[in-house]
Amino acid sequence: MAISPTEVRPEPASFRDPANRVFHVGDEVLRGLDPQAAAHWRALTGSTFFPALVAARKVCATEDAPPTLVPAATGTPWAAVLRHERIPFVSHPYEWSFSMLRDAALLHLEILTAALGEGFTTKDGSAYNLQWRGAQPVFIDIGSFEPMRDGEPWAGYRQFCQTVLYPLMLTAHLGVDFQPWLRARVDGIEADELRPLFNGARRLRPGVLTHLHLHGAMQHRNAAASTTEVRDQLRAAGFSRELLLATVRGIEKLVGKLDRRPPESHWSDYQRTCGYSARDRVAKEQFVAVAVAAGTRPRLVLDLGANDGRYSRLAAGHADYVVAVEQDPTVVDELYRQLRSEGQRRILPLVLDLADPSPGGGWRGVERAGFAERASADVVLALAVVHHLAIGRNVPLPEVIDWLAGLTAPGGAVVVEFVHPEDPMATRLLANKPAGLFPDYRRDAFETLLAARGRITDRLELPSGTRTLYRTVMGG
Amino acid sequence: MEHLAYLDAGSGSLIVQAVVGGVAGAAVAAKLYWRRLVDRFRRQPTDQR
Repeated sequence: MAISPTEVRPEPASFRDPANRVFHVGDEVLRGLDPQAAAHWRALTGSTFFPALVAARKVCATEDAPPTLVPAATGTPWAAVLRHERIPFVSHPYEWSFSMLRDAALLHLEILTAALGEGFTTKDGSAYNLQWRGAQPVFIDIGSFEPMRDGEPWAGYRQFCQTVLYPLMLTAHLGVDFQPWLRARVDGIEADELRPLFNGARRLRPGVLTHLHLHGAMQHRNAAASTTEVRDQLRAAGFSRELLLATVRGIEKLVGKLDRRPPESHWSDYQRTCGYSARDRVAKEQFVAVAVAAGTRPRLVLDLGANDGRYSRLAAGHADYVVAVEQDPTVVDELYRQLRSEGQRRILPLVLDLADPSPGGGWRGVERAGFAERASADVVLALAVVHHLAIGRNVPLPEVIDWLAGLTAPGGAVVVEFVHPEDPMATRLLANKPAGLFPDYRRDAFETLLAARGRITDRLELPSGTRTLYRTVMGG
Repeated sequence: MEHLAYLDAGSGSLIVQAVVGGVAGAAVAAKLYWRRLVDRFRRQPTDQR
């Protein structure tokens, strides 16, 4: 759907804090501020820590914009409007790997510590305050900064526990992937949901006794007390900024300690075991490089089933940004760690099951946009994935191609590999299904379906003769 | 000035931050609970009037 360059679209995820609201106008990301939020913004721009964090690219670049650009919800114009740097691809914490969530957490705490040092705090502590530029986390919620009030603890602590700390503890201490838990609950994991899993000796794992059990028990004991009352009591009892800093330092130390020794996964060794000959690999790499580079330079490439990121890296040489999607959290974590060590800012690895991609979530199912709503790529790479969907997951072949077309921007291209039924990998998958279940899983049928939805501009059968690559301009 | 954040910080979540803040934090928490206890005894005679 074409978007008018002047149409103002409120961001569905930005409504919880009425003091400010994010809007999209064309490609621009704007934020309206009420008078108090505008005063906080002025104070922020006068601080030392904030410009330093922006310069270090840890906080998204933000500037003043004309207040007339966006309408106010109440009819009163916004006191100020900000223009934010655009994040190339918005992702959700349940699409991140363990190390991604941990690095995002450490950045949030680093930013909070820097803010506290100059008398500011963050109103909240959500994992959703962060986004990514490739393998670099970036804090995006400028509206979260406000002057701190002496004697008060961090208002975002509970949210931080629910959306960051508990998911990390779940994976680090129990070896359970946190992604399905976070995906199921927009507000994260409640202490009460997690406490039964941390019984016996597991109570003694780092952070469990205090941040989970004691925290959960305190929530019950103080359920009737208002936060205003408790804030006054804490202030009167001598809660200080130094104490708050010590608490944040303690959380930072704990998060730094949480680690995961992942089990060896089938997919983590895929490139070595997937049965490509050296000649196949060279031919495939050449085809993909030429296919991505053909036409105008892509702004966004989606690499579906990215595995170790070999083709994402190749695509990044010819495109502005690559989103590398892979189902296995262990593989994504490994890829992320490599990209991070390279300082990569143009490849974003994400955890996503292609046959069960992130749906819309939160309020009315639109607060967190589903993967299909966010994905509109100039080039979609679907290398060695069609057989997994069509045979492994029984998705009808026409639907697989329709889905690929749906992820492609108008005039964009799909670079797809069809694994012939005779190929050893396809044979292995077919052996698990009744004979004759997929009579249409044939190269000629696939090609006919592809041609009906776009214009096949390039075609290459790999030297082994059991795989064919296509570049198709969709709708072309 | 009365200030309420848009986010419900959770009363228990505020107090537990004192407890996890080491010895100084535990002292703050102890003081808070002591005052609550004293307040309860102080209030009782008034309540019974």
